[in-house]
Amino acid sequence: MIQTAQDMKTYRKKIHKALGNQFLRKALDNFASSYKASRVKAFEGIDLEALRCRIADNKDHALPHLESLFQQFKEKAEAAGAVVHLAATAAEANDIIAQIARDNGVRAIVKSKSMTAEEIHLNDHLEAEGFTVTETDLGEWIIQLRHEGPSHMVMPAIHLSRRQVGGLFTDVTGRPVDLEDIDRMVKVARKELRPAFLAADMGVSGANFAIADTGTIGLVTNEGNARLTTTLPRVHVALVGLDKLLPNLEAALDILKILPRNATGQALTSYVTWITGAVECAASSTGKKILHIVFLDNGRLALARDPVFSEALRCIRCGACANVCPVYGKVGGHALGHVYIGAIGLILTYFYHGKNNDRAIVRNCLNCQACKSVCPAHIDLPYLIKQVYGNVLKDDGVKPAKNTILSFAMKNRKLFHGMLRMASVLQKPIVQKDAGVLRHLPFVFGKSQDFRTLPALAETPFREQWPSLRPRISEPVYRVALFGGCLVDFVSPEQAVALMKLLTVHHVQMEYPMGQTCCGLPAVMMAETETAVEVAIQNLQAMSPCQYDYILVLCASCGSHLKEGYRRLLASKPELAETLKTFQSKIMDFSSFMVNVLKVDPQKFVQTHTSVAYHSPCHLCRGLGVTREPRELLRTAGLNYIPCADEDVCCGFGGSYSLDFPEISAAILNQKLDHVESTGAEILVTDCPGCVLQLRGGMNQRGGRVRVRHIAEVVAENLKPR
Amino acid sequence: MIHNNLAMMFRERAERVQAVTASVHNMDDVFRYVIDQTLKENGNTIVAPDLDALQLQKLEDLCQASGLRLLHPPFRNHTGDIHTALTGANWAISETGTLVLDSGSEDIRIATMLSETHIAWISASRIAPDASALAAYLRGKMASPPGYMAFITGPSRTADIERVLAIGVHGPQRLHILVMEDDPS
Ligand code: SF4
Ligand code: SF4
Repeated sequence: MIQTAQDMKTYRKKIHKALGNQFLRKALDNFASSYKASRVKAFEGIDLEALRCRIADNKDHALPHLESLFQQFKEKAEAAGAVVHLAATAAEANDIIAQIARDNGVRAIVKSKSMTAEEIHLNDHLEAEGFTVTETDLGEWIIQLRHEGPSHMVMPAIHLSRRQVGGLFTDVTGRPVDLEDIDRMVKVARKELRPAFLAADMGVSGANFAIADTGTIGLVTNEGNARLTTTLPRVHVALVGLDKLLPNLEAALDILKILPRNATGQALTSYVTWITGAVECAASSTGKKILHIVFLDNGRLALARDPVFSEALRCIRCGACANVCPVYGKVGGHALGHVYIGAIGLILTYFYHGKNNDRAIVRNCLNCQACKSVCPAHIDLPYLIKQVYGNVLKDDGVKPAKNTILSFAMKNRKLFHGMLRMASVLQKPIVQKDAGVLRHLPFVFGKSQDFRTLPALAETPFREQWPSLRPRISEPVYRVALFGGCLVDFVSPEQAVALMKLLTVHHVQMEYPMGQTCCGLPAVMMAETETAVEVAIQNLQAMSPCQYDYILVLCASCGSHLKEGYRRLLASKPELAETLKTFQSKIMDFSSFMVNVLKVDPQKFVQTHTSVAYHSPCHLCRGLGVTREPRELLRTAGLNYIPCADEDVCCGFGGSYSLDFPEISAAILNQKLDHVESTGAEILVTDCPGCVLQLRGGMNQRGGRVRVRHIAEVVAENLKPR
Repeated sequence: MIHNNLAMMFRERAERVQAVTASVHNMDDVFRYVIDQTLKENGNTIVAPDLDALQLQKLEDLCQASGLRLLHPPFRNHTGDIHTALTGANWAISETGTLVLDSGSEDIRIATMLSETHIAWISASRIAPDASALAAYLRGKMASPPGYMAFITGPSRTADIERVLAIGVHGPQRLHILVMEDDPS
């Protein structure tokens, strides 16, 4: 039923189709903006950060003890009249549940929503065994009738319009259903499903919590179908992932405080149900509910022991990582997941549904960090996604050619920089001189890259200009080193020149250590960890952090990778720990340095009041947590900053992402540019050369009149002449 | 005073999620409310699973006087025709406008799940600030199984079609909460 592309070619076709679905695009757009607003509102007055840390901690403490928590749960629940099972695999779980049904003479089964049941394709199995299975959650019922999988973990039918649902209900009931009237449709479901509840011999539910010290399961729902499912039929089977085990009620209440708020912006769902043991049930011959609780391993115990990936088991299935994902917002869950969707889906698919189902989708991540910033369990989703991608490549044993080339070149700085120099010579025939862009794209890029112009490589990279530019400040207030990164050095040296100008005016001695090379983030993005580690070590040595007061970056992506990424990459190199610590403590982005260290004075700038919009780079606002300083700097420098919608949503660049998924990159970019144009600003400012490349290329291509500049350039330009 | 603040916040939060709230002073008020509401909705049956015999008789008399039927347990025999369910609540949670209802009895479950309108009364002194304030109570219940504990926050809802909020998909279509200002006991 669920068909997930297993190669890039098929996958790109699927994406193309999803992008063409206008209803989906609009629905997801509306959802993204309303979700963000209601989430913020839902957490008003709550110390969200403390709660997130507690949830991550609780989970991390539980995960190494899942087996003993299971034993404890089993003991308590069985003493209370339940039967508790442990299924090692999906097939085993299906067999256990079918056997329970057979043993109890069951014919009709009702189900309430359970992602774990989706994971093991329980319905298919039960139906093949001859049981009638009816999904009773409205969204699940709709997709069951359509024979498709959920497109969101919390709102399974979000991809469908009311007209589609109305049409479906008309077919199913044989009576016309008003295609506009959602309330009526909901009542149709109420009426159609009531007899299924009453006729069912067995109810199957999932569980959000399994509390070990009392043997209690907790269910968090809105519709009330889980209550009926667990009450009316004489048999109740709860299917629970082992990762749902918690030591006690308190841990569950913490999760309950965050789950509905983070999922849908609700303070609490309509119903939360806590079931302990076999309660009274007049439909059963014993007068007691026949309760079976089936725990599913299916790789979880192994995952819990994995030093890198165990973090993924902290997931409480709130769905937020999809809600804020710009890629999800463009293509929806059927194109961004298998059974589990969104960021966590890209990870779990590999472990629960195999590498073939993950091969293509796992590449569909911009590394924008939006998911990570809302995950209530503090899962480093983008990092895990790249690690899983690495596993897929390793398992497959074939690497994309660009990985091999990139790794080969990057490991040797001189070769790498030589290649870039050579490319800047070779590109000459296609450079449009006055504009600094390529007139047409080299054939390797192909037509799909037409959504933006690409900049030409600089004629003289910054590193070659540096010896003649280097200012000499007597008695400098600070000595700083610039970490340029590939784009500043080889594409946009003017950004570094602007920085130099500003620093000189403020009596800061700038240096440009020549041994520096690519920060290594592109290698991480392509899951070339070994290469990423090698260049990290080179940079650490080249930048000699002890000699400077600060190491400045003009590229947010480099900055957050140097600061946060290196920590992970070099964790296994204790001999570097000391240098790394010094290095990281000195990394600072341009705006923070200007505002917080130099405390620049508006008197130094001509107050031009030029209107500027601002794009907040992912790796600055989420990676480095810098949000106030750039906006403040713009005002100090005499510019009129105009707020714009979705300033902190990714521009769609994502480095090599935009080469792999040009259509999605273009869709995200164009929406961003629409927002910017609607502000009426003259200039769009951002603080990352990668974003500049993407945004300027897109603006050029659409013939827009908004100029795109790096913040260092616009600030330097407004300096009063001395 | 503190009860008052909690009660006010509780009512405000419950109404945010489409519950209707009112204040009452004694069980007579509650019965009046239940009868009036049922008549207003053109319902004709009422269930009241947790009343004692004396109160039940009182309610039955009132029903008869208004032409309504009080249904008697087991409610499995009435799954198709429960209009109004009247229950108490063991606790309420002010932060989220939630009722906490010990639903171990099957009749309480059926009443609160299969009725069209659920009317619950809660004494103002039993409104806790948040769920963690009830942890000891809940833990105690869970430690003496079997048990089925329900948190109820507003009527049954869904947003599964185009994310449009619709009320009453499976459970009660209306939830009324009567806060009893003076504890009757
Ligand atoms: S990092 Fe960005 S693109 Fe990648 S999964 Fe998370 S939200 Fe989506
Ligand atoms: S990974 Fe985090 S954000 Fe995504 S569903 Fe799980 S808990 Fe929610």
